[in-house]
Amino acid sequence: MRSSGYQLVMSAMFKGRKGERPPSGTPTSIACHELMDATGVSFPEAHLNASSMAELALGGHEIIGFDTVMPEYSVDQEVAALGAAVDWGDRNMMPDTKSFLYENFEDIAVPEDFLEKPSMRVLLDALAILRRHVGGSAAIIGKAMGPWTLSYHMAGTQNFLLQIGLGETDKVRKMVEQLMPVTIASVNAQFRAGADVVVVADHATGNLISAAHYAKLLLPYHQELTRQIDGPTILHVCGNCTDRLHHFAEAGFNAYHFEWQVDAREAVHTVGDKMVLIGNVNNPQTLLQGTPEDVYRQARYAIEAGVEIIGPECAIPLSTPLENLKAIVTAVREGY
Amino acid sequence: MSEQLDKIKEAIVGGQHNEIEALVQAALDATLAADQIVNQAMIPGMDVVGRKFSNNEIFVPEMLVAAVTMNKGLALLKPFLQQSGAESKGRIIMCTVKGDLHDIGKNLVIMMLEGAGFEVLDMGVDINVDSLIATVKEIKPDVLGLSALLTTTLPEMAKVIEALEANNIRDEVKVMIGGAPVDAAFSDKIGADGYGRDAAEAVQIARQLITG
Repeated sequence: MRSSGYQLVMSAMFKGRKGERPPSGTPTSIACHELMDATGVSFPEAHLNASSMAELALGGHEIIGFDTVMPEYSVDQEVAALGAAVDWGDRNMMPDTKSFLYENFEDIAVPEDFLEKPSMRVLLDALAILRRHVGGSAAIIGKAMGPWTLSYHMAGTQNFLLQIGLGETDKVRKMVEQLMPVTIASVNAQFRAGADVVVVADHATGNLISAAHYAKLLLPYHQELTRQIDGPTILHVCGNCTDRLHHFAEAGFNAYHFEWQVDAREAVHTVGDKMVLIGNVNNPQTLLQGTPEDVYRQARYAIEAGVEIIGPECAIPLSTPLENLKAIVTAVREGY
Repeated sequence: MSEQLDKIKEAIVGGQHNEIEALVQAALDATLAADQIVNQAMIPGMDVVGRKFSNNEIFVPEMLVAAVTMNKGLALLKPFLQQSGAESKGRIIMCTVKGDLHDIGKNLVIMMLEGAGFEVLDMGVDINVDSLIATVKEIKPDVLGLSALLTTTLPEMAKVIEALEANNIRDEVKVMIGGAPVDAAFSDKIGADGYGRDAAEAVQIARQLITG
């Protein structure tokens, strides 16, 4: 019996029985100009309107052939619901937070109707639309920002990181703690709305903070977070995180979505028995500037290394050629 | 004397922002010259910080605190440096290119450049080609530093270089580029003069470009 993309992804998410081929998956944005043209949906409406959001996500499954759909392209849906001013960008520009509400690390006021704010409502409605369209055939992935990334947006990234350097760890912990309910509420609401899996993006990246700081300041919160989340989760942290993979494996997420900078074989060797691995085709050099053959080779390398779900390493550049994305699908369809 | 300079250097490397002012004041009281403190303690300290960052021994929080420490020390020394007419090591304009709002990488480079004695004008983020060209004409920097985090904004770097050529000022300014998606091959491809992998390398590149 031929397995659907949904079956392949969900089986992989629990390290279950392998199907006839590895699944392809996109825990982060695959919005690009050619996909916008093909679906007739562009930015910023794909961030602001539920049916546009869902339409663009469906393109990833129906036009490119990925086994997942993931409708959140920005990192700003929760931040906007918390009251920050967000520039939703345009066809050529991703959204960006324009104001940092808690630069002084004051107590954070989470609106009671946080999930009903327009930026959250649009995401939850888009997930429900996707469930009606591809439930059971493609795995529906939701995405929430973790408390660390939310802190960057609340305090300003540089300001937040400076406090760590200054040894103001109580301040840092307090902010992360206050933002935990936001992530938990967002993730669980996305499950209820129709997500099969939710990605928690929390940018404790290798280029920004040390593994020791992750272990000390964020790992305990990730462990608490995963205890309070109802369904299967993927942790997404960009950058070279080779030095902290073992910590990620203790956090309680089912899977880790990782970059090309982390060698697939090393990732499988280090944490492959504890977590599902998803990734890790390089964006700037391979998907953006390379050929379909380059993409195919990297995807096959990941498959042969034992990475369970194959996809881009992170949100793709908007000018990524569609044929390069299709090369990932070609690689997985060849089977193991 | 060298013990005092060593302590200042160590304070920069260790980010001892609460101690630096007392250490610098003590050095001044001991009649050490301000430019000696900068050139023999603070700049070498920031060089160590840059190397440690490149080697993943320290990360952004520690870099930021080292820069805070450096700036506190420099603030004390500034009046003396101005009195003695200490020369800047060169003039640099830095910005993140059009369409890109990321500034941490650029800010780290600026901190390191200032720590190394360069005079830096920070134009900010999302800077369009026209205002950049106008500023280059006005300020006449030795080096123009362009930063981008997004792959989508890489083509803007090429546009800046094309605009410098179109305005006949390409020979008057060196261009160095950096940012997560940038590499040496891209730098060569668009005709930049130098590429820095990180903030420490950016300082090395700036030194090479200015001293030739």
